[in-house]
Amino acid sequence: MKTVKLFRGSLFGIYLLFGLIAVSTSALCIYTVNKQLSHEYAVNSVTISHAIANASQDVLLTRDVSSLQALLDQYHEIQGVSYLYVTDEHGDFIAHTFIPEVPAEIFSEHGKRLEAVERNLTGIGEVIEVGSPIVEGLAGSVHVGMDESMVALKIRSAVGKQVYLISILFILSIAVSFWLLNRATTPLHRLADYARQLAGLQPKALTEEETVALLGRNDEAGELARLYRHLANSQSGVQP
Amino acid sequence: MRLVTAGWMRTSAVAWLLCALFAVQAQAAEDGITDHDILIGMSAPFKGTSANLGRELYRGAMACFLDVNAAGGVHGRLLNLRAYDDGYQPQRTVTNTLQLLQTDQAFLLFGYVGTDAVERTLPILQKLQSALLFFPLTGAEAQRRPPYGALAFNLRASYRQETAGLVDHLVAVGHERIAVFYQADAYGRSGWVGIQDGLKKHGLHIVGEATYARGARYSDTFDRQVTILAAAHPDAIISIGAHAATAGFIRAARRVGLNVLIANISFNSSSSMLALLKASSIEDGRDYTKALINTMVVPDINNVELRAVREYRALIDRYNPQPPFEQATPGEPTERYSSIGLEGFLDARLLVEILQRLGANPTRAGLAAAAASIHGLDLGAGFTASFLQGRNQASDMVYYNSTVGGRFQMIDDWGQFAIHGAK
Repeated sequence: MKTVKLFRGSLFGIYLLFGLIAVSTSALCIYTVNKQLSHEYAVNSVTISHAIANASQDVLLTRDVSSLQALLDQYHEIQGVSYLYVTDEHGDFIAHTFIPEVPAEIFSEHGKRLEAVERNLTGIGEVIEVGSPIVEGLAGSVHVGMDESMVALKIRSAVGKQVYLISILFILSIAVSFWLLNRATTPLHRLADYARQLAGLQPKALTEEETVALLGRNDEAGELARLYRHLANSQSGVQP
Repeated sequence: MRLVTAGWMRTSAVAWLLCALFAVQAQAAEDGITDHDILIGMSAPFKGTSANLGRELYRGAMACFLDVNAAGGVHGRLLNLRAYDDGYQPQRTVTNTLQLLQTDQAFLLFGYVGTDAVERTLPILQKLQSALLFFPLTGAEAQRRPPYGALAFNLRASYRQETAGLVDHLVAVGHERIAVFYQADAYGRSGWVGIQDGLKKHGLHIVGEATYARGARYSDTFDRQVTILAAAHPDAIISIGAHAATAGFIRAARRVGLNVLIANISFNSSSSMLALLKASSIEDGRDYTKALINTMVVPDINNVELRAVREYRALIDRYNPQPPFEQATPGEPTERYSSIGLEGFLDARLLVEILQRLGANPTRAGLAAAAASIHGLDLGAGFTASFLQGRNQASDMVYYNSTVGGRFQMIDDWGQFAIHGAK
């Protein structure tokens, strides 16, 4: 398709605008999804941590540490839960799911950090960890580490779908704008051909039907065509 | 005046007939009981790395049940043991338990394997308030104390008893730096707690610990665990593991020169572990079977002076019971007699005695009382079984064996393991 030179700049501007919209929408989407999923994971961690802390009260007070371990093992089966551990009131590790040992970074803290903390642990990866006190801390605390790679995976998946959709819309927009521009520029091309025909530069630029259709248009192209014909007739002494 | 009319007699006869019919229906309505058999449910690993436990326990129990059935069963009813494979995965145990109780309607549950499996099963029994669990293959505490203690009966000693005994003996001969290698689950934790408590009594603590994942295979690497424990410079290591992982750990430890005493508890099938180590000893040209201890909760399977051992071996030879599922790990050594098999046999013997005492019209409601009536019962295994004063564990026996010439033998003298000039 031949693009009218007059519109080339505008066309580039439109594409640029579309691109900017696509990029900014994707960026916003990544930011929002990242924030929401991270928040959701942190909330889940806190919820699981509180649930185990509440359940641990009874288990610790009435049953055996192995029953507490069984409880941790059940929660460990939840997708995204990277590890769990329980420390007693002295900070000693009484149950955990680590293999082959409690990481040194965690071991050195003795379960004292209860706030949400991001860790990057060798052999485990990036995690968000939260802790909850058991019996207000009198019986120790329970800690849950949520796998951040799971968050990243979910973010990649969610963002990937959004970007895929935006890309399709971007391509469709370009195609539609091309089609619309083509429709808009066709009368201008005809007008230019008609002008060349009147000037005798290209005598058979338009067929009889195309000329009649052009002159019959009620838009600016038709008006200009009729003006060109009037000028041409005036110059050749033909009464309009 | 005729006090007893013909009409009154007819009415009485009809009433008696109706009562009898209701009684028969009530009896027939007892889950798992028919005129011909008693349905016993079992969930255990028959495939996977711990399949030997389920297979051996099943074979031992079936040797007894087949013999009882051949003699006409219990009060004329044959014992029908229906087993499902759980692959040593607790969630599958839950599924199997629901299948056994709700669909199959088993009269009782028997021979469950593993601490986590039992931990998950007990709340189901509590909720359904129907069947009881008899003689699970675990020494954990969950089924021995409230709130679930009344739902299960145990024959074997607990892990607490096994580990406490081990610690006492080891400390007595100078082993004060004891490290622990354990399975990262409730079973491992159960043993870990027992060791910790045992050491506390002596004013000691665990000097190093390393875990491994449940389901680990003999071919897996245990180098990291060995490195961690070696760094603690232990005098002895107590392993709370399954046979494949324990054997893998022992091989890895010996390869790097960590030649300290390694002690295992009864859940570790000693014969299966030794079979793996012997095969590797031949391949590698070094003896991996040295300096090993294994606790047992049943007597030595070679002690044929004991009536129960003789019967077990004879009935295994006579019936050669086959496990309900094909061996999923071909190539793994199997043995004709095993300590786990003997435990299954003794479990079955005790269950048969309880069912005998339950009478000709067995009900689930009467099971606990029938079990509790067992006092001083001689199973022919060198100890008497008793459920005394509400205690749901029949035996406290723990046997300590060590390897001599590639075989486990009962330890006569702990002095052979003495270090640092200990007495």
